[in-house]
Amino acid sequence: MALDAEDFTAFIDLCSTEFDYRITVYSPEIRKEMIWLDQDYEGMRALLEMVPQHLKRLGTLKRHVSVYIIDHDATAAIATVTSSFIVTHTDPDGVSQLFVAGTYYDEVDCRGDRYLLKRRRAHLETRDLGIGSHIPI
Amino acid sequence: MSARRYQDRARPPNLRSEDYVSGQVYRDDGVFRDELDTVLGKVWHFACHVSEVPEPGDYRTFLHALQPLFVIRGEDEKLRCFFNTCPQCGARLLGDGAGTAARLRCVRHPGQFDWSGRVVASAQSEDNAESDVLSAAPRLREIHAETKNGLVFVNLDDAAQPLDAFLGQGLEIFDGVFGDDGVEYEVFHFHRATVKANWKAWQETIVDLYHEFMHVVLRTTQMTAAPMSARDMRVYPNGHLAIGGLKADYDNYKGYSARDGSAAFPGLTVDDARFTPLFPDTTIITRGTVMRIDTVTPLDPHRTIVESRGLGIKGEPEADRLMRMRHHNDYWGPFGRNVPEDAFAAEACEKSFGKGAGRYQIIARDEGGRGQDDLMLRAYYKAWSEMTGRLAHSPGNT
Repeated sequence: MALDAEDFTAFIDLCSTEFDYRITVYSPEIRKEMIWLDQDYEGMRALLEMVPQHLKRLGTLKRHVSVYIIDHDATAAIATVTSSFIVTHTDPDGVSQLFVAGTYYDEVDCRGDRYLLKRRRAHLETRDLGIGSHIPI
Repeated sequence: MSARRYQDRARPPNLRSEDYVSGQVYRDDGVFRDELDTVLGKVWHFACHVSEVPEPGDYRTFLHALQPLFVIRGEDEKLRCFFNTCPQCGARLLGDGAGTAARLRCVRHPGQFDWSGRVVASAQSEDNAESDVLSAAPRLREIHAETKNGLVFVNLDDAAQPLDAFLGQGLEIFDGVFGDDGVEYEVFHFHRATVKANWKAWQETIVDLYHEFMHVVLRTTQMTAAPMSARDMRVYPNGHLAIGGLKADYDNYKGYSARDGSAAFPGLTVDDARFTPLFPDTTIITRGTVMRIDTVTPLDPHRTIVESRGLGIKGEPEADRLMRMRHHNDYWGPFGRNVPEDAFAAEACEKSFGKGAGRYQIIARDEGGRGQDDLMLRAYYKAWSEMTGRLAHSPGNT
């Protein structure tokens, strides 16, 4: 919801300083797994901080997430979460279209007072992203 | 609005004819049909990189000038290009973007073809290569395919000049990058995007240097990294272009790290940037550590497929490959900082030119072939005019 609202400070506040974020997609055209974004905590923070300076697509993105599996390792205080997601784009005229579909593979750090996102792998099914996005998904 | 003001808006700019382009070149159906025949149907078109079809039987499908085509590597290692259609019934042969085929099978009947396009089974005679039926059956329809520096080009024109003659010195800016020192490149990134814009509008995102003001990254890393006077624009026969003399200070953009110590490509330093737009639809760009090849494929005057490839060195260490992926994505990935802005700009032009609100594009900047001169845009539309037989500033007149 923080990313939907483009409240990037709030999103980063939900991430561990060990945060590791990657967007991957398989290309049948070149028959290879590809990495389309790869950032650590500091990299993600800088990337999001710079977004307002860019000429970006008008409208909003909305992430719809369905959690499939939560596997909590109490000893390690880590939860691994697998979720399906779709992201829609709504343009300034109120027209919504599917932007991307995929699966989140997350690791959540459960050691502290509040849970923090430690690792996110966003694997995409959609490969034609049109004009793309300055904001991660 | 008064009638006078409306007429003023419609009046051509008071400029030399080569200093502006009519909005009709981006929207007119007749112009588009002519482009298919007289430009895209005549030029050598970049189809794929050799690393995408490494073994016999490997194929790669694509669209060019609205025609479905595929490149396939034969038993003899030769790369051939065919129409992706059965010559007997017209049905499509290969349905996916890439793969390996023991034989090429028609989806509609038992027609089968080998990697050289020869029919090896037909609807009338299954698997009997010696039969009279097969010897009379048509082969796959083949078009010209040639390779240069690992880049596979195809040409729909039966009377096409050789690829080397078409390219001329158009790739000279990459001498030393595409060297003879045994370095082989391979594609690690592929993104195909459908953009709501005329195909030339995408090509302009490369050729129009003045647009670099639009990009935060270029304002901070490129525009002050080397003097504007050091920029070296080149115009070649057949409409090919190049620019060298660009540098980048990557650590001037927050979140980018300095690239000192990263493995640059042969013939380049990590801060080098150079690119060559090959007329009319392909661009090769390097930024020291990484290379991008863009191809535009029009679907109609208002929609374009943009294919972007990122290249690294075949067999390089994993750490170097990850570095190249990251450097590629920083600028050019679908979540990068630059390409979404280029696409946004191309679509913004379509919103204006597509319905006629935009009347003309001014391409009159003259900085002596340096800085942000519109020299390359003028050269691009000069070549376009020569091939289409239409005047870019007034395409209704030939």
